[in-house]
Parts: sequence; C-alpha cells; structure tokens
Amino acid sequence: MSKKPTAGPALHKVIMVGSGGVGKSALTLQFMYDEFVEDYEPTKADSYRKKVVLDGEEVQIDILDTAGQEDYAAIRDNYFRSGEGFLCVFSITDDESFQATQEFREQILRVKNDESIPFLLVGNKCDLNDKRKVPLNECQVRAQQWSVPYVETSAKTRENVDKVFFDLMREIRSRKTEDSKATSGRAKDRCKKRRLKCTLL
Amino acid sequence: MDFDSPEEKEFPGLYASEAIDSKSKKSKEESDFSEGDHDKHSKKDLLIGRRKDKKDKGKDRGYAALEGESSPEEELDTKSPSKSKKSKTFKFTSSKSKEKREKSRDKEKEPKTLDEEPPQKAKEKEREKEKDRHNDEKDHKKKDKERKEKDKKDKFEKKDKKDKKSKQLQQEDGSEVEEVLALGYPIFGVSISLATERSRCHDGIDLPLVVRDCIDFLQQEQSLKCDHIYKVEPIKTRLLHYKRLYNNRDNDASVDDIPTACSLLKLFLRELPEPVLTTDLVARFEEVASHPKVTDQQTELEQLLEQLPKCNRTLLSWILLHFDAVIQQERYNKLNAQSLAMLLSPTLQMSHRLMVVLLCHCTNLFPDVKLIKYVPPLTSSSPGLPDNPEDIKTELRKQDSLLTQIHSEMNAGFITKKREEQLWEVQRIITQLKRKLRSCEKKQEKSIDELEHATSAPPAPAPAPQSAVQPAEQKPPTTNQSTVSAAIVSEDTIDSKSVPTHTVTSLQQHDETNITTSPPPIEYTVDKQTGYLLLSKSNPQRDDLLRLQIEYDELMNWQNELKTRILAERNEIFRIKQLYEQELLKAQPVPTISQEQLPAEGDYERIIEHYTRENSLLEHKKQMLGMEIKEERRACIALQVELRMQEF
Repeated sequence: MSKKPTAGPALHKVIMVGSGGVGKSALTLQFMYDEFVEDYEPTKADSYRKKVVLDGEEVQIDILDTAGQEDYAAIRDNYFRSGEGFLCVFSITDDESFQATQEFREQILRVKNDESIPFLLVGNKCDLNDKRKVPLNECQVRAQQWSVPYVETSAKTRENVDKVFFDLMREIRSRKTEDSKATSGRAKDRCKKRRLKCTLL
Repeated sequence: MDFDSPEEKEFPGLYASEAIDSKSKKSKEESDFSEGDHDKHSKKDLLIGRRKDKKDKGKDRGYAALEGESSPEEELDTKSPSKSKKSKTFKFTSSKSKEKREKSRDKEKEPKTLDEEPPQKAKEKEREKEKDRHNDEKDHKKKDKERKEKDKKDKFEKKDKKDKKSKQLQQEDGSEVEEVLALGYPIFGVSISLATERSRCHDGIDLPLVVRDCIDFLQQEQSLKCDHIYKVEPIKTRLLHYKRLYNNRDNDASVDDIPTACSLLKLFLRELPEPVLTTDLVARFEEVASHPKVTDQQTELEQLLEQLPKCNRTLLSWILLHFDAVIQQERYNKLNAQSLAMLLSPTLQMSHRLMVVLLCHCTNLFPDVKLIKYVPPLTSSSPGLPDNPEDIKTELRKQDSLLTQIHSEMNAGFITKKREEQLWEVQRIITQLKRKLRSCEKKQEKSIDELEHATSAPPAPAPAPQSAVQPAEQKPPTTNQSTVSAAIVSEDTIDSKSVPTHTVTSLQQHDETNITTSPPPIEYTVDKQTGYLLLSKSNPQRDDLLRLQIEYDELMNWQNELKTRILAERNEIFRIKQLYEQELLKAQPVPTISQEQLPAEGDYERIIEHYTRENSLLEHKKQMLGMEIKEERRACIALQVELRMQEF
C-alpha cells in the first residue's frame, strides 16, 4: 500500500452526466475558463484538469464532460468506472431531461456498485425561471430519495457553478479519507454509516 | 531441511525470518513479513505443488524453483484444477533432451534454490494481495491465456542459464499489476492483424508498434552501417524484457541497441502463427521464385501480393524495404542479399531463393511505401501542443486513434489503473487540441470578417484625406493570392482603420507614402467614373499607380467572389453536418439488414482499397486543376488590367 507516497496535490475525478443539451459543457466551461458558450455543439467526450484551492488545500480536479446522447453510451461505462464523483445535470426547463436523471443514476450505481458514491443532482438553467417546467419541490423530493444534495445552477450567470464543483470535491475528499481510515473488511459497515449520514443531511 | 516437516506449515514466519537474516540486503522488498497469513498460504501451496511435482515427475517441475518470476504462476496452477492445460502448453518446448538435462540439473540445484525461496515469497505475497484487489471476474477468464503466455516465456527463459540478474529484474516488473492483466492480450505470438489492432501506430500506418519501433531504430544510418546488424545475438534477458514491455503495451518501451532491435523483430516474425506470406500463398510465392524469367517474376509477384491481407502486405513491404536498406550499406555492414537471406529466410518461413527474389524486386513492388519514422501521439509530459492548424489536425487524428484503441481494449476487459489514467489523459489532450483548433478557426474567421469590413468601407476613396490611405490599401493586392492566408497577414493593416494611417503605411510602403502624402507639388486628379487617382501625365509613376489601382480592383472582385463561395461552402458543410447527425440518430437499427448484402470480406477490402486509391488520385487531380484555375485567373487579371489601362 505504501509503495509510493503520491506526490503532488490530490486529484479528484468528476464526471458530468445528463441528457443532451442540458448544459453540462456550459457548466464545465464556465467553471474552467469563465466563459459561456451560446451556441450548442454536442459533446462526444471532453476532459479537463484544473488546479484549485479547496478549503486552503491545493488540489487538482479532473472533469470529464460526457455525451448526453445515447449514441455514445458504449464508451460511457469506461469513464464511469474511473469517476470518483458525479454531477448529474438536467435542465429545469425540460422535464424529459429531469426524468432521464433516474436512468443516469441507475447506470452509475450499476457501474460503481456503491450507493453512497459522491453525487450531486444539478438543475441547470435557473436563469430561465420563467420557463421552468420542473417544479422545485419535485427536484428536492428526488434528491431526498437518493440522499443526495440538490443545487440549482446557471451556467450563463455563473450562479452556483463553483459551488457544485467544490461541494462535490468535498464529498469526494471526505469519502477518500474515510476509505483510507476504514481499512479492509469493513466495507459493509462503512456503507451503512454513509447512508445514515446522508439522510441526516 | 525437509519441506514436509510440519513445523514450517505451522510457523510460516520461520522462513521469513531466516530470509531476513540471510538476505538482509533485500530487506526493502520483504518489508511486510509480519502479515503471516498470505505467506502461509502461498508457502503451503508451493510446498504442495512441489510434492505433487515430485510425484508425477512432470516435465516442467523445478522451473518454478529456478525462475523467480514464474513461481507465483506455478502456485496458481497448483491451486486450479486445470492442470492438464499446463502440460499441454509445454509441447512447445523445443528439445526434450534439453529438458532432461535441465531436470537433472534441477535436482542438483534444488537445495540452493530453496534458499532463495523466501524473498520470492515476499513477492508472491505482494502479488497475491494485488490480485485480490483486482479480482475481477474477467481475471479468471484470462488466466488460461496468461498461463499459456507465461509458459511460453518460460521456455525462453529456460534456455538462459545465468539468470540471476534477470530474475531480480523480472521480480521487480512482476510486481506490477498490469502485467498479470495484460498478458491475456499479447502482441507476440498472435496473427498480424490482431497484433496490429492491439498495438497500433496511430499515424495511419498499419504496423504493430513493435515492428515499427525496431525498424525505425534500425533505419538510422549508424544502425544500418553497423556491422553488428542482424549478426550479433542480444542479451537474452534484455530481449525478453522488451518483449514483455511490448506485450504489456508499456508506453515508453523503445529499443536502444542494435542486436536487441534485430532480434525483437525476428522474434515477432518467428512467433507469428502463420508466415507473413500466409500458408495459402507461400507455395505460390515459392513457385514464382523458381521462375526462370526474372522479368515475369515481378508481375506475378505483384498479383500474389494483391491477394495478401492488407496488414500482411504492409508488414512485408516494411521489412523488405528495411532489409533492402540494410544491404544497400553492404560496404559497411558486409551484408548482401545472399547473406542476409541466409540469416533471415528461416525466420520469415520462406526459402532462401524466394527471399533473395523478393529483396531484388522489393523497391519495384512497393513503390509507394516509404519508411517514415513514427512520431507517437503526444502525452501530457510532451513539451507542448502544436500551433499550426494542420499539425493540430494530424495530432488529433493520432489521439483519436489512440483513444479508440483504449476504449476497445477496455471494452474487452483490459482494465487497469494505468489504462484508466491514460484514458483521461488522452481525452484531455484531445479536448485541448480541439479547443486550440477552434480558436485558430475563429481567429481566421474573424480576420476574414474584419477584412470584409475593412475593404467594404472604402469603395470609392474620397479624394483628399484618402490619398494617404490609398497606398496602404494597395498592399493587399501585392500579397493577396489566397484570401484566407492573406487575411491573417493583413490583420495589422486592417487596424489602420482605427489607428492613424501613417504609422502602418510607413512600415511597408515607405517610399510611396512619402510621395503621395508629404509633397504638395504632386498633382493628381480623381477620375470621376472609377474613383482612381490619376497623376499628371508628366509624372513617370502615373502608369504604375494606375496599374496598381486597377489590379487592386480586379483582385478585390476576385476576393469577394471567393468569399461568397467560402460562405456558401460553409453553409453547405453546416447543412451536411446536421443531416449527418440526424441520420446518425436515426440509423441505429438498420445495419443488420445491409450487412447481409455486403460482399465477402476480401472483396470488401479490395473495394475499399480501390476507392482510396481512386480518391487520392482525384484529390491530386483536383489540386492540379485548382492551381491551373488560379494561374489562368491571374493571367486574366493581368490582361484585364492592360485592357483598362488603354482607357486612360
């Protein structure tokens, strides 16, 4: 285990999932480069790395922006497997994208086989509140069902953009320290603990 | 010391502590002896294994004791019920007498090797832990394949007698998890197409990476001229080390000495399950080689080569051209076609005569093949990404090919930490490249737009204040051949709209500005119809200025024409892209039907080849025509200018 003490800042791997056109890339680009891209261009897969300061500690974040379209589902598994945290994005102006989050959640759990994987439900495009199709309480109910936090963002106005990434990184970090504490053989225990904690939140 | 004594089984730490005493130098590797659990386990198994071996007098026994690396696998074997497989693989072994010799030697050696056991065990323990960690189900499926490959490797190692150093080396490598997993998908010992697919060169040349690397290395002038080439045997352990690196797709495996490169290439060729010329065709090749008329040989060979699978053809062309390069340097390396064929024809599984014939014809047989040095895709440790759009595109293609390979390997179950990291890294590089390319394109577009603005603004230059601008505006015509490239160059001239004109103009057209701006004595009039600036008839530069102005106008027209065309093309591209995406979304379930109607595999490949060739021809023709059109157009403009000059 202690073969090589990992040099350099900690690396957290975040994966963006959600239907096509909900603004995964827009959120990512806003977070990465402070830019908002108006025109829509479907993503196949893109990956970014950024150094950030998380609670006074320098860390690296790897963001993988995946394709919303079903066409690229085959390569998605390969990415999901190596992800440490997930931002599940939908558009509050598009009910279908909200429904689709259920499927994404299931797919992630299937690949990761872990109920308590760091995960945030993100309702994007909150600047378009007048065109809202998904009621707020419905989103909150689903988040509660999954025991995950729910955050509304706007890639356009940058509202809560940093928050979702940093919140997720914190979850990943605490998860990692927990993992290293709870050494082999107590995996089941840990899962239960985690779930309890989440529901409390 | 008797192994069957119960003591050791009950006190697993016994050996370990002994090991520490006797081999304190290696204490680093043995650091975690305290966990006796694994030790006990592996030890027991090993013991049982050995006892069994003793009983059956199996051929392969004792190698475990000899070979540090293989012992964990042996242990694996004894655990698993499928023992029969193991002995089967040993049919590969070349000479039985050698084995017998080894066997007897083993007996002598046994006490000695036992002393060496403990450090190995430490390794085993580590490995076992790692295995547990990565205990996928897929692992199990792979084990059989792995074992085969391992055993094959053992075969080579056996021939090697002084193995102690290599043993250590292998132990070190052996601790990598990757190896265990990767061995299910070797490069060596599989068909050419499989090897090519598994370790691609990402620049579009279908060769297994190991072949490409070796040839690249050997094609260097000092290698070709070295008289060791294809003559000197390498250090066996080095050879095997590289073989393993390639089998594991270790990214930075690259040979750096001539004997190893030669032998690695030979090893690859020798281990091919089928000769490069294929079992079906090799006899016909031989027939052609014995043909008395040399002139007929070539056409017949060409026909036969056509029938080879594409990757075989590529491999053959590369090795033959490489061999040809070797014998070109006969003066230095003392190898001619005859002697080289003597050395290598057995490896290629062809007769001496056939190889000489192929060498003699190879430059004519493969006129379009060039041995290009392989530049692998960039990694995050590379100095930087390319800046030129063309280079970016080439790099993108490479990275895409690499990404596809990683995905297909992962989908096939070849999943390791390293692979996953590589996947993210490649994806990241692709994203960066795409961003860079996009920003390049945007810049270009912007400069075109700006140019449009800049040029559409002064359609008919007003007389007095424009007189200074005029010469500056005349700059584009002189450089402006293709609008796009000129657009970038003239970006700073465009700024002249906002910036005081003189500063820019003075840069390039210093003389003319002086003439036109400073001196009031120069008289000029403005032509009412065309807006041209006319100097007085006496001025010697009158004609030049007029000519330039007319030419400028003509070129501007041409530019506008081209721009509208570019715009139209862009719209078309956009439209087609959309269409494509729509089709992509629709066309998922269709392929099953269409596949049945496809011609046979071979035909299909030939058709593809045919069309690629045809396409490249057409592309070439198109370029030629484009150039011609450009020339004609320029001539037209020149004439037009002269024509209009007459009007004044």
